[in-house]
Amino acid sequence: MTIWGALAGGFVGTLVLTTMLRGASELRLTRIDLPFLLGTALTSDRKRAKALGYIAHFMFGFLFALGYFAIFWAIGRSGWLLGAALGLAHGAFAGTALVNVLLPLVHPRMGDTMSAADTVALLEPPGFLMLNYGRRTPVVMLLAHIAYGAIVGGFIAWS
Amino acid sequence: METRRNDGPYPPIRDLAAIGDGRTVAVVSLDGTVAWLPIPYVDSPTVFASLLDTRHGGRFALAPEDPFEARRRYIPETNVLETTFVTDGGRARITDALTLPTGGGLVPFRELARRVEGEKGAVRFRWSVEPRFGYGSDIGAMGRRSGIPVATGRDQAVAICSWDAGSPQLTPEAVTGAFETAEGSTALIALSIAHQEPLVLPPREDVERRLDETIASWQRWAAAREATGPWRDQILRSALALKLLVQAKSGAVAAASTTSLPEEIGGERNWDYRFSWLRDSAFVMGAMLELACKDEAEAFFWWLMHASQITHPRLQVLYRMDGGADAPERALSLHGYRGSRPVRVGNAAAKQAQLDIYGDVMQMAWLYGDAGHPIDREFGDRLAAVADLVCDIWSRPDAGIWEVRGPERHFTQSKMMCWVALNRAGRLASTAQIPSGNVERWRSEADAIRSFVEDRCWSEAKQSYTRSADAEDLDASVLLGARFGYGDPAGTRFSRTIDALRRELGRGTFLYRYLGDDDLRGQEGSFLCCSFWLAEVLGLAGRRAEAVDLLNELIAFENDIGLYAEEIDPSTSAFLGNFPQALTHLALISAATSLTEGAS
Repeated sequence: MTIWGALAGGFVGTLVLTTMLRGASELRLTRIDLPFLLGTALTSDRKRAKALGYIAHFMFGFLFALGYFAIFWAIGRSGWLLGAALGLAHGAFAGTALVNVLLPLVHPRMGDTMSAADTVALLEPPGFLMLNYGRRTPVVMLLAHIAYGAIVGGFIAWS
Repeated sequence: METRRNDGPYPPIRDLAAIGDGRTVAVVSLDGTVAWLPIPYVDSPTVFASLLDTRHGGRFALAPEDPFEARRRYIPETNVLETTFVTDGGRARITDALTLPTGGGLVPFRELARRVEGEKGAVRFRWSVEPRFGYGSDIGAMGRRSGIPVATGRDQAVAICSWDAGSPQLTPEAVTGAFETAEGSTALIALSIAHQEPLVLPPREDVERRLDETIASWQRWAAAREATGPWRDQILRSALALKLLVQAKSGAVAAASTTSLPEEIGGERNWDYRFSWLRDSAFVMGAMLELACKDEAEAFFWWLMHASQITHPRLQVLYRMDGGADAPERALSLHGYRGSRPVRVGNAAAKQAQLDIYGDVMQMAWLYGDAGHPIDREFGDRLAAVADLVCDIWSRPDAGIWEVRGPERHFTQSKMMCWVALNRAGRLASTAQIPSGNVERWRSEADAIRSFVEDRCWSEAKQSYTRSADAEDLDASVLLGARFGYGDPAGTRFSRTIDALRRELGRGTFLYRYLGDDDLRGQEGSFLCCSFWLAEVLGLAGRRAEAVDLLNELIAFENDIGLYAEEIDPSTSAFLGNFPQALTHLALISAATSLTEGAS
């Protein structure tokens, strides 16, 4: 178990997670676009938002991988299966609290149930389990995060 | 402005108008209904398609509750539509635009803005937004986001934002509202549309600003065009119509914005024209250069060279707007415009052999190079390889410019355009823009093509070039031989051909493209571009008075906002076929600029 393993796992895991979400969009399963959601917190320019969003997304990917590493280190065990379990919890947290509740609180351009687009353009709020972005979004998100967790767990265990 | 009523479930094609944003095109009918809107691009599945199925296609209706008369125009030198409704109670005006993403800030993926201004008295409006995703196959789900009504499909969503347009009511199938205008009042309804991303919910101020900036942006573009002469307004409107069909992302030019508007009402001649046809390429480049559309000309040349790389040196009849070569054809389960089925998407003509396109592409390249644009070494090598291929294949039969779906033939116009291909290759080689190693072969094969055409494609009985070798029926497409310099328009054979075509294929002002068998059931209307080609060739033949009269007659048959479809019924003047049609407008630009230059 090394930090370098966690960072490598975070990079590959985020790559796979991003690809899965993008693929799900192309398969018409969801409208979730995490880089767009993250990038528009930094700029209102669409193109720059997408570019910055991808950078931010990978940064979060590294941060969460370090979080996984800390948990594995604390319990003295690691592995892809344990990583997948953490990914499941991570995905559930992302869908219920992180993106649904916390992101609208800090995102300057995201609407919530109490806001209206009176003066500035707002992004559609994700809703519980991000269901606003499509009925299959929770399943897609969970599967993508399980894959992320399994990859991070595997890399940490092998390093 | 023209006044007309429209009460039928399917609007006459003549009553349609097009608005666009360089990525997609919406079709609006005179009764205020947005009846066609593909998302995200012009060749994508639709959100609104009531034009092809009033029950299941989806629409955005916005019209007075009381009986009305409507008249409309484009705001001058824009693609922003203005429809004025007059009722017994008053007068109000709708301004429709697909807004351009100008001015910074977080902008919707696509935005349709409809502003309603009261001009006089009171007019009570009712509106209804019925999105149906995927060509009507997905009714979606209705809900609200931050209080705004939203319809969601699988990977698309539409937010229905309204201000001073009544309280929107949600049903499982529609969002509706009603409001009354007063003198000086302004209501606004905007559809913010998302594709594979979360919706953007815009404030009113942003939509109003984008609508105004869209008008200004179109006017800036139009002001930069070089159109002069007695037909300046028609040339400019055609240029604006063409610009609607240019895909800003790639530079490709769609043949039309719709699919399956019928060439015969109730018939099977219904095709998807949302592809870029190489047949149109020479006219596209000619028009762009004539109108000083330098950026568009460069983008189109690069798009075509990159698209054709996949099939090089063979060229395909048409390519997708993204440059892809596959266009599989299938039928949708829609009712069809006034029952005209099948409703097709995709186009099987993509896989046909069509020899005339080689002449069109070489002519396009020659125009591009002759205008001072450098053709780089790689493209030069490829164009030379195309000329070599023409030497190998010109003697084969093909499907011809009209993409006949029956047995292949030796179409005269195809042979003439093969001659044009080799002639232009020679010209490009003489200016060192393409390799000159095979110039002698190109020249001798061009001579062989000429012998073939003159020996086997001329009818002594008809005193005309014929539709195909050893045949007696005629085809208006041979006019392109004169247009592109295969022969002298004022020479004996083309002069007699002009007269024969008018005699055999003419119906008043109009020309049928042919009257022979094409292995399809039914009879189509007359092909509008052929009539414009005739006007231009008459001018080139020195018969200017006839040419001017014909052009003016044709212009009298434009619709009330200066647009044309593909065909016209000579007996009723009803438009037929897809709309607006690039080739018709390209032929208008070509004829009008040629006759304007001929006068100076």
